[in-house]
Amino acid sequence: MSDRRVGPGLQEDVGIPTFDDRERALGAAPVVEPATPAEWVRENLFSSRFNTVITLVVGSLLGFFLYQISKFVFVTAEWAVVANNLRGFMVGPFPVEQIWRVWVSAYVVAVLGGLSAGASPNRITWTRRKRVVGVLVAIVATVLVVLLVDTMLVLTLTFGVVATAAAMLFVGRRQGGRLRRPLLVAWLLSFPAIMVLVVGFGGVSPRLWGGFFFNLVAATVGIFLSFPIGILLALGRRSSLPAVRSFSVVFIEIFRGVPLVAWLIFSKFVVGLLLPPQMNEPPDIIKALIVMTFFSAAYVAEIVRGGLQGIHEGQYEAARALGLSTTRMMAFVVLPQALRSTIPAMISHFISLYKDTALFVAIQVTDLLAAARRSAVGLQYFGRIKETLLFAGLLFWIVAFSMSRWSQRLETRLGVGIR
Amino acid sequence: MTEQQGSGNGATHMIVADNVKKWFGQFQALHGISMRVGKAETVVIVGPSGSGKSTFIRTINRLERHDEGRIFVDGIELTDDIRNISQVRSEIGMVFQSFNLFPHLTVSDNITLAPRNVRHWPKKKADEKAMQLLERVGIPEQAQKYPGQLSGGQQQRVAIARALAMEPKIMLFDEPTSALDPEMIKEVLDVMEELAESGMTMIVVSHEIGFARHVADRVMLFDAGKLVEEAAPDKFFDSPEHERTKAFLSQIL
Repeated sequence: MSDRRVGPGLQEDVGIPTFDDRERALGAAPVVEPATPAEWVRENLFSSRFNTVITLVVGSLLGFFLYQISKFVFVTAEWAVVANNLRGFMVGPFPVEQIWRVWVSAYVVAVLGGLSAGASPNRITWTRRKRVVGVLVAIVATVLVVLLVDTMLVLTLTFGVVATAAAMLFVGRRQGGRLRRPLLVAWLLSFPAIMVLVVGFGGVSPRLWGGFFFNLVAATVGIFLSFPIGILLALGRRSSLPAVRSFSVVFIEIFRGVPLVAWLIFSKFVVGLLLPPQMNEPPDIIKALIVMTFFSAAYVAEIVRGGLQGIHEGQYEAARALGLSTTRMMAFVVLPQALRSTIPAMISHFISLYKDTALFVAIQVTDLLAAARRSAVGLQYFGRIKETLLFAGLLFWIVAFSMSRWSQRLETRLGVGIR
Repeated sequence: MTEQQGSGNGATHMIVADNVKKWFGQFQALHGISMRVGKAETVVIVGPSGSGKSTFIRTINRLERHDEGRIFVDGIELTDDIRNISQVRSEIGMVFQSFNLFPHLTVSDNITLAPRNVRHWPKKKADEKAMQLLERVGIPEQAQKYPGQLSGGQQQRVAIARALAMEPKIMLFDEPTSALDPEMIKEVLDVMEELAESGMTMIVVSHEIGFARHVADRVMLFDAGKLVEEAAPDKFFDSPEHERTKAFLSQIL
């Protein structure tokens, strides 16, 4: 059967497939590309009787759903409920006269985000399809913003954020790799700086945080604090010191074993018990954030432990034989490999943690989801919950999807040279 | 007496092992090994699998802890003292059967990692040393590649360069060619031979008889955790004294 193969195929038979040959084979292989859309449709959708039936059934179902949804979105729905409650959706009970603090934070993130995207070594290669999708998304987003935002000031500020990010993207490209290290420092400093900006100097107590702003802040806190704590717990669980090991195991199992909602409600009492009685009680939100961080750290620890198990004993031996201390061996040899292999699981966990910030409704935080439900309760917009939920879902999804995309780019970037 | 062996004779004896014993649970892997390795000497250890030869050389840089007996490396006794262990490790280079290169680092970074972090060399000095060593092992053009992109023979030569970057006084080779395809064995043995000729103190666990005959100063046979026979290569291979050695040689020759 295989005796008719020639060229690169022969190489394979001899058992020495190499990179060169594979590339040459791909280049030389006849590429069957359908010439017209009609041909594509015939080949992919109607190639046999069975396929034709499936195409028709699935197609009509899809068409029906699409029709129903578009009818709702463009005809039945009354989006005034979203437009008029937009501030509640975004920042909840945050006092109006203090909202400039949130805007400044948004601009800080836009500047850093733009610079980072510009300075990133792997740029997006703009294929035709990506261009079309990009332009469509931009148009839809612009229309949405223009329709939903009713004051000129907010509209200007919103487009200002986008324009700033775009300008910084340009600057980042110009500066290139030189910016990478300062940017890392800037990112690390930005979060505490934003917190000081929001809370400090007569700012807004966490008791009044809410809306999508709250979801984003809570997710950021949870992700960036639970990551290092989780790594330490994972290392602790493998420690040769029995005290460290049992502490890690007990910590992980306790926090993982109780639902997050329950932890959030408990947090009021748990954190109070752990703090010295003289100390002022922190606001409930802060206590809940601490407990959520521990909850997430338990999961991170188990993900990292999985990654550590994939590291071959020989890696430890080689590092030790070279005289590296345990700390350096972990930092330069073991963790970089272990963490890389855990990226998919880790991002998955962080995305669900981000969505779980909606559970803060259990301690009376008006986050995005709570704001969406609450705004459809008043007499004026009674029953308009479909609109508000759809909008909240869209906002949640945009960020989650961006995280997923970003992790894929991270994976390709770190994947270099790994077998 | 042992202090004398360790420090007094340090100039001539790089490695002194005195009645070294090692257990894995109930199983005794080493039954009292005593040997001396002089400066610039090359010792090849042969023996059937499970004879304790790998375990023994791994006790020399403390990848395995010995349970009884004493080991001195360049006058420093190996004890539970962590400072001694790290001092000894930075003087001993080790090459493994399965290379154990760091797959996430380039060839160059594999080599410079330890000099920069243990010896605290500046980046420039470490990089230059790495290039120099890659030229010595014959693959300077691979510096920016990742280990996964190299052949087995090239990877093992990088591993040798990585060990040499710490400027060790002693090199340990744990079956360095056993995982290699036949056509790649020679390129690694050539590097090892050049190293032996340059005056490196070496202990090599290997079944490459040609290499042992040609390069070794002494050959030793390990069996069941004991050092059965040691002799100069010609005598070892042509007229061994012990029956066990004859039987082993008849199996591998």
